[in-house]
Amino acid sequence: MSDNYEYILKTEHVSKRFGSLEVLKDVNLSVKKGEVICIIGPSGAGKSTFLRSLNQLEKITSGKIFIRDELFLHRENDRTVDKLPKDKQQELLLEMGMVFQRFNLFPHKTVLQNVCEAPIVVKKEKKEDVEKRAKQLLEKVGLLDKADEYPSRLSGGQQQRAAIARALAMNPEIMLFDEPTSALDPELVGDVLNVMKELAESGMTMLCVTHEMGFAREVADRVLFMADGIITEEGTPEEIFTNPKVERTRNFLNSIL
Amino acid sequence: MKKFDIKKYLKTIIILCVILVAVVILAVLKPSETDLFKNTSPEMQKMIEQDANSTRKRVTVTYNNLLIINYASLSTSGAKVMSEKYVGFLGKVYPADKGGMKITGQMVNYTYRMLGCGENLMHGAKLTITLTTLTVLFGVLLGTILALGKISKNKILSKISGAYIFFFRGTPLLIQLFVVYFTVPGMFGFAWRDVFSSSDPEAVFKGAFVASVIAFALNSGAYCAEIVRSAIQSIDKGQFEAAKALGMTYRQTMTRIIIPQSVRRMIPNVSNEFIMVLKDASLVFAISLMDITTISKNIMTSEGSYLVFIPALIIYLLITAFFGFVFNKIEKKFSVYE
Repeated sequence: MSDNYEYILKTEHVSKRFGSLEVLKDVNLSVKKGEVICIIGPSGAGKSTFLRSLNQLEKITSGKIFIRDELFLHRENDRTVDKLPKDKQQELLLEMGMVFQRFNLFPHKTVLQNVCEAPIVVKKEKKEDVEKRAKQLLEKVGLLDKADEYPSRLSGGQQQRAAIARALAMNPEIMLFDEPTSALDPELVGDVLNVMKELAESGMTMLCVTHEMGFAREVADRVLFMADGIITEEGTPEEIFTNPKVERTRNFLNSIL
Repeated sequence: MKKFDIKKYLKTIIILCVILVAVVILAVLKPSETDLFKNTSPEMQKMIEQDANSTRKRVTVTYNNLLIINYASLSTSGAKVMSEKYVGFLGKVYPADKGGMKITGQMVNYTYRMLGCGENLMHGAKLTITLTTLTVLFGVLLGTILALGKISKNKILSKISGAYIFFFRGTPLLIQLFVVYFTVPGMFGFAWRDVFSSSDPEAVFKGAFVASVIAFALNSGAYCAEIVRSAIQSIDKGQFEAAKALGMTYRQTMTRIIIPQSVRRMIPNVSNEFIMVLKDASLVFAISLMDITTISKNIMTSEGSYLVFIPALIIYLLITAFFGFVFNKIEKKFSVYE
Protein backbone atom coordinates (compact mmCIF):
# COMPACT_ATOMS: atom_id res chain seq x y z
CA MET A 1 0.00 0.00 0.00
CA SER A 2 1.31 3.44 -0.84
CA ASP A 3 2.61 5.68 1.86
CA ASN A 4 2.09 8.73 -0.29
CA TYR A 5 -0.81 10.40 1.37
CA GLU A 6 -1.40 13.70 3.00
CA TYR A 7 -3.97 12.71 5.60
CA ILE A 8 -4.25 9.31 7.17
CA LEU A 9 -7.82 10.10 8.07
CA LYS A 10 -10.15 12.83 6.91
CA THR A 11 -13.85 13.52 7.30
CA GLU A 12 -15.96 16.01 5.39
CA HIS A 13 -19.38 17.17 6.48
CA VAL A 14 -20.06 14.09 8.56
CA SER A 15 -23.46 14.11 10.19
CA LYS A 16 -25.40 11.51 12.07
CA ARG A 17 -29.01 11.42 13.07
CA PHE A 18 -30.79 9.04 15.45
CA GLY A 19 -34.42 9.54 14.45
CA SER A 20 -35.09 13.25 14.93
CA LEU A 21 -32.04 13.72 17.16
CA GLU A 22 -29.08 15.19 15.32
CA VAL A 23 -25.99 13.92 17.09
CA LEU A 24 -23.34 15.04 14.61
CA LYS A 25 -23.71 18.12 12.47
CA ASP A 26 -21.14 18.68 9.78
CA VAL A 27 -17.95 17.45 11.43
CA ASN A 28 -14.74 18.09 9.49
CA LEU A 29 -11.44 16.69 10.65
CA SER A 30 -8.10 15.92 9.07
CA VAL A 31 -5.52 13.77 10.80
CA LYS A 32 -1.90 13.49 9.73
CA LYS A 33 0.24 10.49 10.43
CA GLY A 34 1.75 10.58 13.90
CA GLU A 35 -0.64 13.16 15.24
CA VAL A 36 -2.16 12.77 18.67
CA ILE A 37 -5.56 14.38 18.86
CA CYS A 38 -7.74 14.63 21.93
CA ILE A 39 -11.42 15.32 21.66
CA ILE A 40 -12.95 16.92 24.74
CA GLY A 41 -16.37 18.30 25.47
CA PRO A 42 -19.53 17.86 27.53
CA SER A 43 -21.32 14.54 27.50
CA GLY A 44 -23.87 14.14 24.76
CA ALA A 45 -21.78 16.25 22.42
CA GLY A 46 -21.37 13.35 19.96
CA LYS A 47 -17.69 12.63 20.67
CA SER A 48 -18.11 8.89 21.00
CA THR A 49 -20.54 8.68 18.11
CA PHE A 50 -18.03 10.46 15.90
CA LEU A 51 -15.25 8.06 16.88
CA ARG A 52 -17.51 5.04 16.37
CA SER A 53 -18.66 6.21 12.98
CA LEU A 54 -15.03 6.36 11.83
CA ASN A 55 -14.62 2.61 12.08
CA GLN A 56 -18.16 1.84 10.97
CA LEU A 57 -19.66 0.84 14.30
CA GLU A 58 -22.19 3.55 13.50
CA LYS A 59 -23.43 4.33 10.00
CA ILE A 60 -23.21 8.04 9.27
CA THR A 61 -26.26 9.76 7.81
CA SER A 62 -24.26 11.83 5.38
CA GLY A 63 -20.73 12.98 4.72
CA LYS A 64 -17.47 11.62 3.41
CA ILE A 65 -14.78 9.62 5.15
CA PHE A 66 -11.32 9.37 3.58
CA ILE A 67 -8.65 6.96 4.70
CA ARG A 68 -5.17 7.58 3.28
CA ASP A 69 -6.72 10.11 0.90
CA GLU A 70 -8.95 7.45 -0.62
CA LEU A 71 -12.68 8.00 -0.48
CA PHE A 72 -13.66 5.26 1.92
CA LEU A 73 -17.34 6.04 2.26
CA HIS A 74 -19.68 8.70 0.96
CA ARG A 75 -23.25 8.83 2.17
CA GLU A 76 -26.06 11.30 1.64
CA ASN A 77 -29.44 11.14 3.39
CA ASP A 78 -28.81 7.69 4.80
CA ARG A 79 -27.90 6.26 1.40
CA THR A 80 -24.46 5.14 0.36
CA VAL A 81 -23.40 7.16 -2.66
CA ASP A 82 -19.93 5.80 -3.08
CA LYS A 83 -17.65 3.41 -1.27
CA LEU A 84 -14.62 1.23 -1.74
CA PRO A 85 -15.05 -2.44 -2.65
CA LYS A 86 -15.62 -4.60 0.38
CA ASP A 87 -12.20 -6.27 0.59
CA LYS A 88 -10.41 -2.94 0.24
CA GLN A 89 -12.70 -1.45 2.87
CA GLN A 90 -11.91 -4.30 5.25
CA GLU A 91 -8.19 -3.83 4.64
CA LEU A 92 -8.35 -0.16 5.54
CA LEU A 93 -10.57 -0.77 8.57
CA LEU A 94 -7.90 -3.07 9.97
CA GLU A 95 -5.62 -0.03 10.09
CA MET A 96 -7.82 1.33 12.86
CA GLY A 97 -7.55 -0.11 16.36
CA MET A 98 -10.28 0.66 18.83
CA VAL A 99 -10.26 0.79 22.63
CA PHE A 100 -13.63 0.95 24.33
CA GLN A 101 -14.81 2.60 27.49
CA ARG A 102 -15.94 -0.75 28.91
CA PHE A 103 -12.93 -2.77 27.64
CA ASN A 104 -15.06 -5.43 25.90
CA LEU A 105 -12.47 -8.14 26.37
CA PHE A 106 -13.66 -11.62 25.44
CA PRO A 107 -14.45 -13.11 28.86
CA HIS A 108 -14.14 -16.75 27.78
CA LYS A 109 -10.56 -16.32 26.57
CA THR A 110 -7.41 -15.67 28.57
CA VAL A 111 -5.57 -12.39 28.20
CA LEU A 112 -3.08 -13.97 25.79
CA GLN A 113 -5.87 -15.56 23.74
CA ASN A 114 -7.66 -12.22 23.63
CA VAL A 115 -4.59 -10.59 22.15
CA CYS A 116 -3.89 -13.43 19.69
CA GLU A 117 -7.45 -14.04 18.50
CA ALA A 118 -7.80 -11.46 15.73
CA PRO A 119 -4.33 -11.77 14.14
CA ILE A 120 -4.80 -15.53 13.88
CA VAL A 121 -8.43 -15.53 12.77
CA VAL A 122 -8.58 -12.38 10.67
CA LYS A 123 -5.06 -12.03 9.32
CA LYS A 124 -4.37 -15.79 9.26
CA GLU A 125 -0.97 -15.31 10.84
CA LYS A 126 0.96 -18.20 12.32
CA LYS A 127 0.11 -18.94 15.93
CA GLU A 128 3.71 -19.00 17.16
CA ASP A 129 4.55 -15.65 15.55
CA VAL A 130 1.44 -14.03 16.98
CA GLU A 131 2.06 -15.40 20.45
CA LYS A 132 5.59 -14.09 20.44
CA ARG A 133 4.40 -10.64 19.42
CA ALA A 134 1.50 -10.78 21.88
CA LYS A 135 3.89 -11.48 24.74
CA GLN A 136 6.02 -8.51 23.75
CA LEU A 137 2.93 -6.33 23.72
CA LEU A 138 1.78 -7.64 27.10
CA GLU A 139 5.20 -6.88 28.49
CA LYS A 140 4.91 -3.37 27.10
CA VAL A 141 1.62 -2.80 28.92
CA GLY A 142 2.95 -4.53 32.05
CA LEU A 143 0.71 -7.59 31.96
CA LEU A 144 3.02 -10.42 30.96
CA ASP A 145 2.46 -12.16 34.31
CA LYS A 146 -1.30 -12.09 33.71
CA ALA A 147 -1.14 -13.66 30.25
CA ASP A 148 -2.94 -16.84 31.27
CA GLU A 149 -5.58 -15.24 33.49
CA TYR A 150 -9.18 -14.74 32.46
CA PRO A 151 -10.27 -11.08 32.20
CA SER A 152 -12.66 -11.44 35.13
CA ARG A 153 -9.65 -11.86 37.42
CA LEU A 154 -8.08 -8.57 36.39
CA SER A 155 -8.73 -5.09 37.72
CA GLY A 156 -10.34 -2.54 35.43
CA GLY A 157 -7.03 -0.89 34.69
CA GLN A 158 -5.41 -4.21 33.81
CA GLN A 159 -8.35 -5.11 31.59
CA GLN A 160 -8.07 -1.83 29.74
CA ARG A 161 -4.33 -2.32 29.21
CA ALA A 162 -5.03 -5.82 27.92
CA ALA A 163 -7.59 -4.29 25.55
CA ILE A 164 -4.96 -1.84 24.30
CA ALA A 165 -2.55 -4.74 23.69
CA ARG A 166 -5.32 -6.58 21.84
CA ALA A 167 -5.90 -3.62 19.51
CA LEU A 168 -2.15 -3.15 18.97
CA ALA A 169 -1.70 -6.80 18.01
CA MET A 170 -3.36 -6.03 14.67
CA ASN A 171 -0.57 -3.51 13.94
CA PRO A 172 -2.94 -0.62 13.29
CA GLU A 173 -1.79 2.70 11.86
CA ILE A 174 -4.19 4.67 13.99
CA MET A 175 -5.66 4.04 17.40
CA LEU A 176 -9.08 5.25 18.45
CA PHE A 177 -9.69 5.59 22.20
CA ASP A 178 -13.28 5.97 23.32
CA GLU A 179 -13.10 7.36 26.88
CA PRO A 180 -10.64 4.63 27.89
CA THR A 181 -10.41 5.71 31.52
CA SER A 182 -14.00 6.71 32.26
CA ALA A 183 -15.01 3.34 33.67
CA LEU A 184 -11.97 3.04 35.93
CA ASP A 185 -11.43 3.71 39.61
CA PRO A 186 -9.37 6.90 40.01
CA GLU A 187 -6.27 5.10 41.29
CA LEU A 188 -6.18 2.85 38.22
CA VAL A 189 -6.36 5.64 35.66
CA GLY A 190 -2.64 6.43 35.87
CA ASP A 191 -1.41 3.05 34.57
CA VAL A 192 -3.63 3.22 31.52
CA LEU A 193 -2.65 6.82 30.77
CA ASN A 194 1.04 5.90 31.06
CA VAL A 195 0.60 3.17 28.47
CA MET A 196 -1.17 5.64 26.18
CA LYS A 197 1.58 8.21 26.72
CA GLU A 198 4.27 5.72 25.75
CA LEU A 199 2.25 4.83 22.71
CA ALA A 200 2.00 8.48 21.69
CA GLU A 201 5.73 8.94 22.17
CA SER A 202 6.44 5.95 19.95
CA GLY A 203 4.80 7.84 17.09
CA MET A 204 1.38 6.19 16.93
CA THR A 205 -1.40 8.22 15.39
CA MET A 206 -4.05 8.56 18.08
CA LEU A 207 -7.53 9.91 18.36
CA CYS A 208 -8.72 10.02 21.97
CA VAL A 209 -12.06 10.99 23.35
CA THR A 210 -11.18 11.77 26.93
CA HIS A 211 -12.08 13.62 30.08
CA GLU A 212 -8.50 13.55 31.34
CA MET A 213 -7.53 17.16 30.79
CA GLY A 214 -4.04 16.65 32.22
CA PHE A 215 -3.39 13.94 29.67
CA ALA A 216 -4.77 16.04 26.81
CA ARG A 217 -2.64 18.96 27.83
CA GLU A 218 0.55 16.95 28.10
CA VAL A 219 0.30 14.55 25.21
CA ALA A 220 -1.97 15.98 22.54
CA ASP A 221 -0.69 17.77 19.46
CA ARG A 222 -4.13 19.15 18.89
CA VAL A 223 -7.23 19.41 21.06
CA LEU A 224 -10.72 19.55 19.63
CA PHE A 225 -13.58 20.90 21.67
CA MET A 226 -16.85 19.39 20.62
CA ALA A 227 -20.32 20.47 21.71
CA ASP A 228 -23.79 19.82 20.31
CA GLY A 229 -22.49 17.76 17.42
CA ILE A 230 -19.96 20.20 16.02
CA ILE A 231 -16.33 21.00 16.63
CA THR A 232 -16.63 24.47 18.10
CA GLU A 233 -12.97 25.07 18.69
CA GLU A 234 -9.68 23.44 17.91
CA GLY A 235 -6.06 24.29 18.55
CA THR A 236 -2.94 23.33 20.43
CA PRO A 237 -3.44 22.36 24.09
CA GLU A 238 -1.90 25.69 24.99
CA GLU A 239 -4.46 27.65 23.01
CA ILE A 240 -7.44 25.66 24.22
CA PHE A 241 -6.58 25.39 27.88
CA THR A 242 -5.02 28.76 28.60
CA ASN A 243 -6.79 30.98 26.16
CA PRO A 244 -10.03 29.54 24.83
CA LYS A 245 -11.69 31.81 22.32
CA VAL A 246 -15.19 30.43 22.33
CA GLU A 247 -17.56 31.10 25.20
CA ARG A 248 -18.79 27.48 25.26
CA THR A 249 -15.25 26.14 25.68
CA ARG A 250 -14.49 28.58 28.44
CA ASN A 251 -17.62 27.60 30.36
CA PHE A 252 -16.83 23.91 30.00
CA LEU A 253 -13.25 24.28 31.16
CA ASN A 254 -14.29 26.47 34.07
CA SER A 255 -16.82 23.92 35.21
CA ILE A 256 -14.39 20.98 35.27
CA LEU A 257 -11.06 22.49 36.26
CA MET B 1 -5.71 -26.56 35.43
CA LYS B 2 -6.58 -26.50 39.09
CA LYS B 3 -5.38 -29.31 41.31
CA PHE B 4 -7.98 -31.83 42.31
CA ASP B 5 -9.04 -30.83 45.81
CA ILE B 6 -9.93 -34.01 47.67
CA LYS B 7 -11.13 -32.24 50.82
CA LYS B 8 -13.94 -30.52 48.96
CA TYR B 9 -15.32 -33.82 47.74
CA LEU B 10 -14.59 -35.84 50.89
CA LYS B 11 -18.21 -35.93 52.05
CA THR B 12 -19.50 -37.02 48.65
CA ILE B 13 -16.78 -39.64 48.34
CA ILE B 14 -17.58 -41.10 51.76
CA ILE B 15 -21.31 -41.28 50.97
CA LEU B 16 -20.59 -42.90 47.62
CA CYS B 17 -18.23 -45.42 49.22
CA VAL B 18 -20.78 -46.35 51.88
CA ILE B 19 -23.45 -46.87 49.22
CA LEU B 20 -21.03 -48.87 47.09
CA VAL B 21 -19.96 -51.11 49.99
CA ALA B 22 -23.60 -51.67 50.98
CA VAL B 23 -24.50 -52.63 47.41
CA VAL B 24 -21.53 -55.00 47.16
CA ILE B 25 -22.41 -56.68 50.49
CA LEU B 26 -26.07 -57.03 49.50
CA ALA B 27 -25.12 -58.35 46.08
CA VAL B 28 -22.70 -60.90 47.54
CA LEU B 29 -25.14 -62.05 50.21
CA LYS B 30 -28.00 -62.36 47.74
CA PRO B 31 -29.01 -66.01 47.12
CA SER B 32 -28.02 -67.34 43.72
CA GLU B 33 -30.40 -68.39 40.96
CA THR B 34 -29.92 -72.08 41.86
CA ASP B 35 -30.69 -71.31 45.53
CA LEU B 36 -34.02 -69.90 44.45
CA PHE B 37 -34.91 -72.94 42.39
CA LYS B 38 -33.77 -75.35 45.13
CA ASN B 39 -36.52 -73.92 47.33
CA THR B 40 -39.31 -74.90 45.00
CA SER B 41 -41.70 -77.70 45.91
CA PRO B 42 -40.72 -81.32 45.00
CA GLU B 43 -43.56 -81.51 42.49
CA MET B 44 -42.35 -78.41 40.67
CA GLN B 45 -38.78 -79.70 40.68
CA LYS B 46 -39.93 -82.93 39.15
CA MET B 47 -41.74 -81.10 36.37
CA ILE B 48 -38.69 -78.94 35.66
CA GLU B 49 -36.61 -82.10 35.39
CA GLN B 50 -39.10 -83.64 32.99
CA ASP B 51 -39.17 -80.40 30.96
CA ALA B 52 -35.41 -80.55 30.57
CA ASN B 53 -35.69 -83.86 28.76
CA SER B 54 -38.68 -83.09 26.58
CA THR B 55 -39.39 -80.56 23.87
CA ARG B 56 -42.75 -79.68 25.31
CA LYS B 57 -42.32 -77.16 28.11
CA ARG B 58 -44.97 -77.10 30.79
CA VAL B 59 -43.31 -74.75 33.25
CA THR B 60 -42.98 -71.03 32.56
CA VAL B 61 -39.92 -69.77 34.39
CA THR B 62 -39.22 -66.09 35.02
CA TYR B 63 -36.02 -65.06 36.69
CA ASN B 64 -35.29 -61.39 37.45
CA ASN B 65 -31.97 -60.31 38.88
CA LEU B 66 -31.79 -56.74 40.16
CA LEU B 67 -28.24 -56.76 41.57
CA ILE B 68 -29.19 -56.75 45.28
CA ILE B 69 -32.44 -58.66 45.08
CA ASN B 70 -33.78 -61.34 42.80
CA TYR B 71 -37.12 -62.86 41.99
CA ALA B 72 -38.21 -66.12 40.43
CA SER B 73 -41.66 -67.09 39.33
CA LEU B 74 -42.63 -70.55 38.15
CA SER B 75 -46.02 -71.45 36.86
CA THR B 76 -47.42 -74.41 35.04
CA SER B 77 -50.28 -74.72 32.67
CA GLY B 78 -52.25 -77.76 31.68
CA ALA B 79 -54.00 -80.34 33.87
CA LYS B 80 -52.47 -79.20 37.12
CA VAL B 81 -52.02 -75.46 37.55
CA MET B 82 -49.27 -74.55 39.98
CA SER B 83 -47.73 -71.21 40.68
CA GLU B 84 -44.75 -70.52 42.91
CA LYS B 85 -42.89 -67.28 43.47
CA TYR B 86 -39.74 -66.58 45.44
CA VAL B 87 -37.77 -63.52 46.44
CA GLY B 88 -34.09 -63.83 47.31
CA PHE B 89 -32.56 -61.17 49.54
CA LEU B 90 -29.72 -61.05 52.10
CA GLY B 91 -28.88 -64.75 51.98
CA LYS B 92 -32.44 -65.90 52.41
CA VAL B 93 -35.13 -67.08 50.05
CA TYR B 94 -38.66 -65.95 50.84
CA PRO B 95 -41.82 -67.38 49.33
CA ALA B 96 -43.66 -64.54 47.63
CA ASP B 97 -47.17 -65.81 47.22
CA LYS B 98 -48.92 -63.46 49.57
CA GLY B 99 -48.58 -60.37 51.76
CA GLY B 100 -45.61 -58.04 51.73
CA MET B 101 -43.32 -60.47 49.95
CA LYS B 102 -45.81 -60.83 47.13
CA ILE B 103 -45.76 -57.06 46.59
CA THR B 104 -41.95 -57.00 46.88
CA GLY B 105 -41.72 -59.74 44.27
CA GLN B 106 -44.07 -57.88 41.96
CA MET B 107 -42.11 -54.65 42.36
CA VAL B 108 -38.84 -56.43 41.52
CA ASN B 109 -40.46 -57.94 38.46
CA TYR B 110 -42.04 -54.64 37.28
CA THR B 111 -38.86 -52.66 37.88
CA TYR B 112 -36.85 -55.27 35.99
CA ARG B 113 -39.17 -55.03 33.02
CA MET B 114 -39.51 -51.24 33.04
CA LEU B 115 -35.75 -50.77 33.19
CA GLY B 116 -35.52 -52.93 30.08
CA CYS B 117 -33.05 -55.35 31.69
CA GLY B 118 -31.99 -58.20 29.45
CA GLU B 119 -33.41 -56.40 26.42
CA ASN B 120 -31.93 -54.18 23.72
CA LEU B 121 -32.08 -50.37 23.55
CA MET B 122 -35.66 -50.49 22.31
CA HIS B 123 -37.02 -51.27 25.76
CA GLY B 124 -37.95 -49.52 28.95
CA ALA B 125 -35.73 -46.92 30.59
CA LYS B 126 -33.03 -47.57 27.97
CA LEU B 127 -35.45 -46.50 25.25
CA THR B 128 -36.52 -43.42 27.21
CA ILE B 129 -32.93 -42.32 27.85
CA THR B 130 -31.69 -43.01 24.31
CA LEU B 131 -34.66 -41.26 22.76
CA THR B 132 -34.33 -38.22 25.03
CA THR B 133 -30.58 -37.87 24.54
CA LEU B 134 -30.78 -38.13 20.75
CA THR B 135 -33.74 -35.73 20.68
CA VAL B 136 -32.00 -33.04 22.72
CA LEU B 137 -28.74 -33.48 20.78
CA PHE B 138 -30.43 -32.96 17.40
CA GLY B 139 -32.79 -30.42 18.95
CA VAL B 140 -29.93 -28.17 20.08
CA LEU B 141 -28.22 -28.44 16.67
CA LEU B 142 -31.44 -27.61 14.84
CA GLY B 143 -32.26 -24.94 17.41
CA THR B 144 -28.89 -23.22 16.86
CA ILE B 145 -29.50 -23.10 13.10
CA LEU B 146 -33.04 -21.79 13.63
CA ALA B 147 -31.89 -19.20 16.17
CA LEU B 148 -29.16 -17.90 13.84
CA GLY B 149 -31.82 -17.77 11.11
CA LYS B 150 -34.22 -15.90 13.29
CA ILE B 151 -31.77 -13.19 14.37
CA SER B 152 -30.21 -12.91 10.92
CA LYS B 153 -30.68 -9.71 8.94
CA ASN B 154 -31.94 -11.75 5.99
CA LYS B 155 -35.70 -11.19 6.18
CA ILE B 156 -36.65 -14.40 4.36
CA LEU B 157 -34.47 -16.58 6.61
CA SER B 158 -35.82 -14.85 9.67
CA LYS B 159 -39.44 -15.32 8.54
CA ILE B 160 -38.90 -19.01 7.75
CA SER B 161 -37.34 -19.65 11.16
CA GLY B 162 -40.09 -17.69 12.87
CA ALA B 163 -42.78 -19.66 11.05
CA TYR B 164 -41.11 -22.96 11.92
CA ILE B 165 -40.93 -22.08 15.60
CA PHE B 166 -44.52 -20.81 15.57
CA PHE B 167 -45.76 -24.03 13.97
CA PHE B 168 -43.93 -26.51 16.18
CA ARG B 169 -44.63 -24.68 19.41
CA GLY B 170 -48.26 -24.08 18.48
CA THR B 171 -49.33 -27.67 17.75
CA PRO B 172 -49.49 -30.72 20.03
CA LEU B 173 -46.42 -32.92 20.06
CA LEU B 174 -48.60 -36.05 19.91
CA ILE B 175 -50.12 -34.98 16.59
CA GLN B 176 -46.68 -34.07 15.28
CA LEU B 177 -45.61 -37.60 16.18
CA PHE B 178 -48.65 -39.04 14.38
CA VAL B 179 -47.90 -36.92 11.31
CA VAL B 180 -44.30 -38.16 11.16
CA TYR B 181 -45.26 -41.77 11.88
CA PHE B 182 -48.47 -42.11 9.84
CA THR B 183 -49.01 -39.14 7.51
CA VAL B 184 -45.56 -38.75 6.01
CA PRO B 185 -45.11 -42.45 5.08
CA GLY B 186 -48.72 -42.46 3.84
CA MET B 187 -48.11 -39.51 1.55
CA PHE B 188 -44.83 -40.77 0.16
CA GLY B 189 -45.75 -44.45 0.05
CA PHE B 190 -43.27 -46.06 2.42
CA ALA B 191 -43.33 -47.51 5.92
CA TRP B 192 -40.90 -46.74 8.70
CA ARG B 193 -40.10 -50.44 9.19
CA ASP B 194 -38.79 -50.51 5.60
CA VAL B 195 -35.85 -48.45 6.78
CA PHE B 196 -34.55 -51.69 8.29
CA SER B 197 -34.17 -55.11 6.70
CA SER B 198 -37.37 -57.12 6.51
CA SER B 199 -35.71 -60.11 8.20
CA ASP B 200 -35.11 -58.04 11.33
CA PRO B 201 -37.83 -59.03 13.85
CA GLU B 202 -37.44 -55.68 15.56
CA ALA B 203 -37.80 -53.67 12.35
CA VAL B 204 -41.22 -52.33 13.35
CA PHE B 205 -39.90 -51.04 16.68
CA LYS B 206 -36.75 -49.63 15.14
CA GLY B 207 -38.81 -47.85 12.49
CA ALA B 208 -41.08 -46.37 15.14
CA PHE B 209 -38.00 -45.33 17.12
CA VAL B 210 -36.50 -43.48 14.15
CA ALA B 211 -39.85 -41.78 13.51
CA SER B 212 -40.12 -40.63 17.11
CA VAL B 213 -36.54 -39.30 17.22
CA ILE B 214 -37.33 -37.27 14.08
CA ALA B 215 -40.66 -35.99 15.41
CA PHE B 216 -39.29 -35.12 18.84
CA ALA B 217 -36.13 -33.50 17.45
CA LEU B 218 -38.16 -31.34 15.06
CA ASN B 219 -40.31 -30.24 17.99
CA SER B 220 -37.42 -29.78 20.42
CA GLY B 221 -35.58 -27.73 17.79
CA ALA B 222 -38.29 -25.08 18.01
CA TYR B 223 -37.95 -24.81 21.77
CA CYS B 224 -34.14 -24.94 21.66
CA ALA B 225 -34.19 -22.16 19.06
CA GLU B 226 -35.73 -19.85 21.63
CA ILE B 227 -33.19 -20.99 24.25
CA VAL B 228 -30.25 -20.34 21.91
CA ARG B 229 -31.70 -17.05 20.66
CA SER B 230 -32.20 -15.64 24.14
CA ALA B 231 -28.71 -16.80 25.17
CA ILE B 232 -27.12 -15.11 22.15
CA GLN B 233 -29.10 -11.92 22.69
CA SER B 234 -28.08 -11.84 26.35
CA ILE B 235 -24.44 -11.37 25.31
CA ASP B 236 -23.26 -7.78 25.76
CA LYS B 237 -23.42 -5.72 22.55
CA GLY B 238 -19.85 -4.63 23.26
CA GLN B 239 -18.66 -8.12 22.35
CA PHE B 240 -20.03 -7.75 18.81
CA GLU B 241 -18.47 -4.29 18.55
CA ALA B 242 -15.08 -5.42 19.82
CA ALA B 243 -15.06 -8.31 17.33
CA LYS B 244 -16.12 -6.01 14.49
CA ALA B 245 -13.50 -3.43 15.40
CA LEU B 246 -10.88 -6.20 15.21
CA GLY B 247 -12.04 -7.00 11.68
CA MET B 248 -13.83 -10.27 12.38
CA THR B 249 -16.62 -11.26 10.04
CA TYR B 250 -20.14 -12.01 11.26
CA ARG B 251 -19.50 -15.73 10.99
CA GLN B 252 -16.19 -15.52 12.89
CA THR B 253 -17.80 -13.35 15.56
CA MET B 254 -20.61 -15.85 16.02
CA THR B 255 -18.58 -19.05 16.03
CA ARG B 256 -15.58 -17.81 18.01
CA ILE B 257 -16.94 -15.13 20.34
CA ILE B 258 -20.70 -15.15 20.76
CA ILE B 259 -21.75 -18.82 20.63
CA PRO B 260 -19.00 -20.07 23.02
CA GLN B 261 -20.18 -17.49 25.55
CA SER B 262 -23.83 -18.37 24.96
CA VAL B 263 -23.25 -22.06 25.64
CA ARG B 264 -22.85 -21.55 29.37
CA ARG B 265 -25.99 -19.45 29.56
CA MET B 266 -27.88 -22.10 27.60
CA ILE B 267 -27.05 -25.02 29.89
CA PRO B 268 -29.69 -24.45 32.62
CA ASN B 269 -32.40 -24.07 29.97
CA VAL B 270 -31.18 -27.05 27.95
CA SER B 271 -31.25 -29.07 31.18
CA ASN B 272 -34.86 -27.99 31.60
CA GLU B 273 -35.64 -28.93 28.01
CA PHE B 274 -34.00 -32.32 28.55
CA ILE B 275 -36.30 -33.07 31.47
CA MET B 276 -39.33 -31.92 29.48
CA VAL B 277 -38.38 -34.20 26.59
CA LEU B 278 -37.77 -37.07 29.01
CA LYS B 279 -41.37 -36.82 30.13
CA ASP B 280 -42.74 -36.08 26.66
CA ALA B 281 -41.01 -39.25 25.49
CA SER B 282 -43.80 -41.18 27.21
CA LEU B 283 -45.99 -40.18 24.25
CA VAL B 284 -44.37 -42.99 22.24
CA PHE B 285 -46.91 -45.30 23.90
CA ALA B 286 -49.23 -44.03 21.13
CA ILE B 287 -47.11 -45.74 18.48
CA SER B 288 -46.57 -48.78 20.69
CA LEU B 289 -42.90 -48.37 21.48
CA MET B 290 -42.06 -50.14 24.73
CA ASP B 291 -40.90 -47.30 26.94
CA ILE B 292 -41.39 -47.09 30.72
CA THR B 293 -44.90 -45.71 30.35
CA THR B 294 -46.06 -48.32 27.81
CA ILE B 295 -44.68 -51.17 29.88
CA SER B 296 -46.34 -49.93 33.07
CA LYS B 297 -49.62 -49.48 31.22
CA ASN B 298 -49.35 -53.00 29.79
CA ILE B 299 -48.64 -54.50 33.21
CA MET B 300 -51.62 -52.61 34.59
CA THR B 301 -53.94 -53.95 31.89
CA SER B 302 -52.70 -57.54 31.74
CA GLU B 303 -52.04 -58.19 35.43
CA GLY B 304 -54.41 -55.73 37.00
CA SER B 305 -51.72 -54.34 39.23
CA TYR B 306 -52.48 -50.79 40.22
CA LEU B 307 -49.19 -50.51 42.13
CA VAL B 308 -47.05 -50.65 39.00
CA PHE B 309 -47.10 -46.87 38.52
CA ILE B 310 -45.20 -46.25 41.74
CA PRO B 311 -41.91 -47.87 40.59
CA ALA B 312 -42.54 -46.16 37.22
CA LEU B 313 -42.56 -42.76 38.89
CA ILE B 314 -39.48 -43.60 40.94
CA ILE B 315 -37.56 -44.67 37.82
CA TYR B 316 -38.45 -41.38 36.11
CA LEU B 317 -37.36 -39.44 39.19
CA LEU B 318 -34.02 -41.25 39.38
CA ILE B 319 -33.30 -40.55 35.71
CA THR B 320 -34.22 -36.88 36.17
CA ALA B 321 -32.02 -36.60 39.26
CA PHE B 322 -29.07 -38.19 37.47
CA PHE B 323 -29.25 -35.91 34.44
CA GLY B 324 -29.88 -32.87 36.63
CA PHE B 325 -26.61 -33.70 38.40
CA VAL B 326 -24.76 -34.16 35.07
CA PHE B 327 -25.99 -30.81 33.70
CA ASN B 328 -25.03 -29.12 36.94
CA LYS B 329 -21.47 -30.44 36.58
CA ILE B 330 -21.30 -29.33 32.93
CA GLU B 331 -22.46 -25.85 33.90
CA LYS B 332 -19.76 -25.59 36.57
CA LYS B 333 -17.16 -26.71 34.07
CA PHE B 334 -18.18 -24.00 31.62
CA SER B 335 -18.13 -21.34 34.34
CA VAL B 336 -14.37 -21.33 34.87
CA TYR B 337 -13.94 -17.86 33.41
CA GLU B 338 -16.62 -16.15 35.47
